[in-house]
Amino acid sequence: MADTFTITVDGKPVEAHAGEMVLRAAQRAGVHIPTLCDDKRLEPAGACRACLVEIDGQRRLQPSCAWKVAPNQNIKTQETSKRVQRHQDVLVSLYMADHKLDDEGLPVETCNGNGLREWAQECQTLSLDPVEAPRAARPGDKNPYITFQPELCVLCARCTRYCDEVEAVNAITLTGRGSETTIGTAGMRGLLDTSCELCGGCIDTCPTGALVEQKAIEILPHQIERKVRTTCNYCGVGCQMDLNVAKVDGIEQVVRVTSPPPGETVNDGNLCIKGRFAYDFIHHKDRITEPMIRKPDGKLHGVSWDEALKFAAEGMKKVQQRHGPKALGFISSARCTGEENYLMSKVARAAFKTGNVHSCAAT
Amino acid sequence: MSNSIPEIRDLDFMLVIGSNTTEAHPIIGMEMKIARQRGARLIVADPRKIWLTEYADLHLQLKPGTDVWLINAMAKVIIDEDLVDKDFIKTHTEGWPELKANLAKFNLPEAEQATGLPAEVIRAAAIEYATTRKAAIYYTLGITEHAHGSDNIFSLANLVMMTGHLGVRHGGLNSLRGQNNVQGATDAGATPLYYTGFQSAEDPAVRAKFEKAWATDLPATIGLNLNAIMEGVKEGNVKALYVMGEDILISEPNTNHLEKGVKELEFLIHQDIFMNETTKYASVVFPAACFAEKDGVFTNTDRRVQRVRKAVNPPGNARPDCQILADFARASGYAMPDYKDAGEIYAEIASLAPRFAGISHERLDRTPMGIQWPCTSPEHEGTAYMHKDGPVKGKGTFVVTNFRPSVEMPNREYPFSLATGRVLYHYNSGTQTRRDSGTMDKVGECQIEVHEEDAAGLGLKDGDMVKIVSRRGGIKARVWISGRVQKGCVWMPLHFVDAAINKLTIDAGDPLAGTAEYKVCAVNLLPVKPGAERAERSELVESRPVLGA
Repeated sequence: MADTFTITVDGKPVEAHAGEMVLRAAQRAGVHIPTLCDDKRLEPAGACRACLVEIDGQRRLQPSCAWKVAPNQNIKTQETSKRVQRHQDVLVSLYMADHKLDDEGLPVETCNGNGLREWAQECQTLSLDPVEAPRAARPGDKNPYITFQPELCVLCARCTRYCDEVEAVNAITLTGRGSETTIGTAGMRGLLDTSCELCGGCIDTCPTGALVEQKAIEILPHQIERKVRTTCNYCGVGCQMDLNVAKVDGIEQVVRVTSPPPGETVNDGNLCIKGRFAYDFIHHKDRITEPMIRKPDGKLHGVSWDEALKFAAEGMKKVQQRHGPKALGFISSARCTGEENYLMSKVARAAFKTGNVHSCAAT
Repeated sequence: MSNSIPEIRDLDFMLVIGSNTTEAHPIIGMEMKIARQRGARLIVADPRKIWLTEYADLHLQLKPGTDVWLINAMAKVIIDEDLVDKDFIKTHTEGWPELKANLAKFNLPEAEQATGLPAEVIRAAAIEYATTRKAAIYYTLGITEHAHGSDNIFSLANLVMMTGHLGVRHGGLNSLRGQNNVQGATDAGATPLYYTGFQSAEDPAVRAKFEKAWATDLPATIGLNLNAIMEGVKEGNVKALYVMGEDILISEPNTNHLEKGVKELEFLIHQDIFMNETTKYASVVFPAACFAEKDGVFTNTDRRVQRVRKAVNPPGNARPDCQILADFARASGYAMPDYKDAGEIYAEIASLAPRFAGISHERLDRTPMGIQWPCTSPEHEGTAYMHKDGPVKGKGTFVVTNFRPSVEMPNREYPFSLATGRVLYHYNSGTQTRRDSGTMDKVGECQIEVHEEDAAGLGLKDGDMVKIVSRRGGIKARVWISGRVQKGCVWMPLHFVDAAINKLTIDAGDPLAGTAEYKVCAVNLLPVKPGAERAERSELVESRPVLGA
């Protein structure tokens, strides 16, 4: 079989790579197929049944996330297949019967969005009686970051598969039977008492907002003014992250950190506890907000920038004149940007004529 | 890293030595776990039973500071088994006969004695590395933070070159850099040895080029490295410091001695986002913007230049470090250009450093994966792995290395060997992560990992407070019988100002790199009487000021 061949999706030719699944080829071509349980980082599960398509020669609808492409395959999605559309209308309605709905009868919006809500808006939903599903959370869970809202869970197992296949700590798992099935831990302990490393990948992969970040749970996606793609400031891996900015009491703040989509950046959408959650320092009350100089009383006093800069320049110049440039040391920082480190080396060498410039990069 | 992060998941073999990857580089740790789940073999060499060992096929739990013995013994096995890459050695290297002759003495029986590892295990690890094509080595500070750190790295480099695992997509010798921009700081020229882009500070032609660009005369000699500057502070030869974004009194070794020197400084400028120990002695404090409040680039461990973008304004009158430095230079009488933004500064760097010549903020904004240097022109796509056409410097030099014990070995008075490092939940001096609730819930205070038998010998139980003393100072911490350290060894994290471990550590440095020996010093443990303990949970955590719980 050739490595690359053509399949047909809704009557249009789509390029496919041998070995990949129908859903991937369709997504690459910009064809929209709804899905809840799919994540590029995970093995296909075929769990949610949202992505079923009609495939020529197949009696039953098949999950496009777990069906391999083949040359000359003919695929129909909800766009061209009444059967697929009917399947989706019924399926999304069944999900909604077991889901928290808002006043308009749509799956509720959460701070992490809700993929079921978006999908329901594309369908002709039926009004079904609510299902009595005593799905439990973990009431004793005291972890301050990750909240599980069981009434929003669709049991797609993305979180538990992520915890197994990517983070590989297996802290959470599907537990219970039938309508009591839920996302559990060993002995239903709180996450702090499990092998969980609080990476928050479960939040990132959850399609419905059943797993959300606790810290700014009340801030919904439409309240986020912008997402700013940047590089994490902790270790040297260089994970890309999106700082979510919202106005809180009229002041713009970073209220959340989210992952870029999988496959787009060096970290493949993954983050660790520090990158995803440890951002409180940004708006912490202990931040230094004014320049200060030490006055004859031995204490630091807030002054203007002009005064502080003048005082600092004169202080360094005096030592340089008295003891020569070799008596000066400039300690740059591996925490600061490349441009800042460049300027520090320029300040040392060009302004103060000393090569005594180094950063904590010595290790 | 000679190679790239995205290659990891397709490897067939990984040797991780002196790197607590899952805690210090969690996302690279994830990639290694993915590779492992896809069937790659993983060998971890570390004195401590780190988390990654739970995923490893083999854990080489060597005695601290004996890496040269392990690596050189592996090299000798590879020679004895005739598994060297003769073509690579002939074409791309020099110094092979000398190396081969010197390795003769690193025989397995003595290696077993020195490292505490069974000879057969060393032999098996060596053969597996040499015979697997997609095989890469990863190391971090467990290799470098020794007084013989350079020897450790040369030994590893010898191993990589003699087996031809260099200049190929899945291989190489990969140093996992510890901090967000530790690579970029050196790239930018914040090092006494180089101007930006690794251009020698001793080369008159380089100096002339920068004198022209910077329109001033520049120092003719190279300056002091960090370790030497700190020595200068202690001895009173360095009289003034400008410290940007580091708490030297927490991060540098032997801080008690350093603190005396810092007190005597005639002038100290400290620029940071939080007050810390160093601020106590500052003549001037400049309030800086944090990463979310400014523009620029960080360069990660696989040489990937990526953008830092401003999301929010700095608090109060805090300013981006770039602006502070430029203003300070002008106040000092140097005509620093009036840069309109960080992109213009980067353009100046790119114009002076050939290996970054093809990189610009505009191009990075179009490239979500970042650009890996060398990138020599706007058309150059960047470099996923180095040494593709043979070693960059021409011939790779085999460097003969010999075992030198660590400077301070345990004795009767100080019977334990202390190593220091990071935990997953905190970052370096902890000024940021000690201000977050969840990280503190996971690890809220300093713990010292002690071997069960050592603890029993001292009458210590899990959770007891203990005083740890070295020849340089003493601190308190809580005992954790973790099952991870060897008998005779203890381990502590570096994040807690209340238990500042660098009061204990030795300021011996590697003669070439100046890197301090944070990984081995001798200490004793003194049980603390009940009642004399104090809860050391940091006071820094607050509920979020405006968002509430």
